[in-house]
Amino acid sequence: MSASLAPECNEVKERYDTCFLKWYSEKYLRGQGGTNENNECAAMFKEYQKCLTVALKDRGIDKLVEEAREDNKDNDALYLGRK
Amino acid sequence: MVLEHTTNHAYSHPFPTVTLAYFLRYCSPQLNPFAKHVLSTDTISSHIDPETGRLHTTRIHLKKSRLPPAVFKLLPTSITGGNEANKSSYILETSVVDMKEGWMSTESRNLNFVGVLSVVEKQIYTMPKSQAKDSTTDVETTVVFRSRLGDKLRGRLGQAASSDDEAAPAKGGFFARLGARGIQRSIESLASTKTVDQLGKSREGMGIIMERLRQSGVMGVLEALRRGRERGLETA
Repeated sequence: MSASLAPECNEVKERYDTCFLKWYSEKYLRGQGGTNENNECAAMFKEYQKCLTVALKDRGIDKLVEEAREDNKDNDALYLGRK
Repeated sequence: MVLEHTTNHAYSHPFPTVTLAYFLRYCSPQLNPFAKHVLSTDTISSHIDPETGRLHTTRIHLKKSRLPPAVFKLLPTSITGGNEANKSSYILETSVVDMKEGWMSTESRNLNFVGVLSVVEKQIYTMPKSQAKDSTTDVETTVVFRSRLGDKLRGRLGQAASSDDEAAPAKGGFFARLGARGIQRSIESLASTKTVDQLGKSREGMGIIMERLRQSGVMGVLEALRRGRERGLETA
């Protein structure tokens, strides 16, 4: 599995990724995705996010993501005529 | 300034396999030899819309390349940060999969250097409506290149120029000499040429992953990745 941008999150990320790919191929693609609540990877995702959120903030990436989302709205309004 | 480029392609694999390969495409250079430039991949959100059953995923990739080298060479170091600058860029990827309706839409955009060049790639994967429904997948890729270099910096340069006007009237800044519009157009077209090259590689990479999935299934692929990781740890 590819690495996390934060090496300290690698282990939890790998566990989540493996779980997600298994769930995606064996359940979601077969129409048995269920809901967010009963997702078997939810606990692993939470653990992973706990680690990742800190790393994103430290590197200022959370702000870049926010800016991109704002910019996206502007561009869509400008070039696609959407509101 | 905006430059747009659209291409169509058909994968000779069924829709579910193509979507799985999409999630796996930066997994490991062992699985995809065309992903060596991807340093990391992280999921920042993943949820199913309870009304539609669609899966929404947001990921951040860190890629080794930043601006295309030709664009980089065109710009003064005051903008690019020179050769010492961080040589990687963050990409924000959002995707939506609808299994019931049989489509996946994706969008990738760069998070740094957006003032120089913003590249937004949108893809829509669909199950064909024809008889080949179970064995092929159509994909339409649209890439939009947009440089706002002059737009953003002209104001600042203008201010600097007015205060220095009498001291150095003939010199002129980078944009004054070459013209902001011309620079924007050059950046967009240089980037577009490079991206068209890369689209082919990205398809080849997807193809390799799907072949592996066909041969050994997802569990086989996951197992191979796990073994690869362990080997990596041993040699590290």
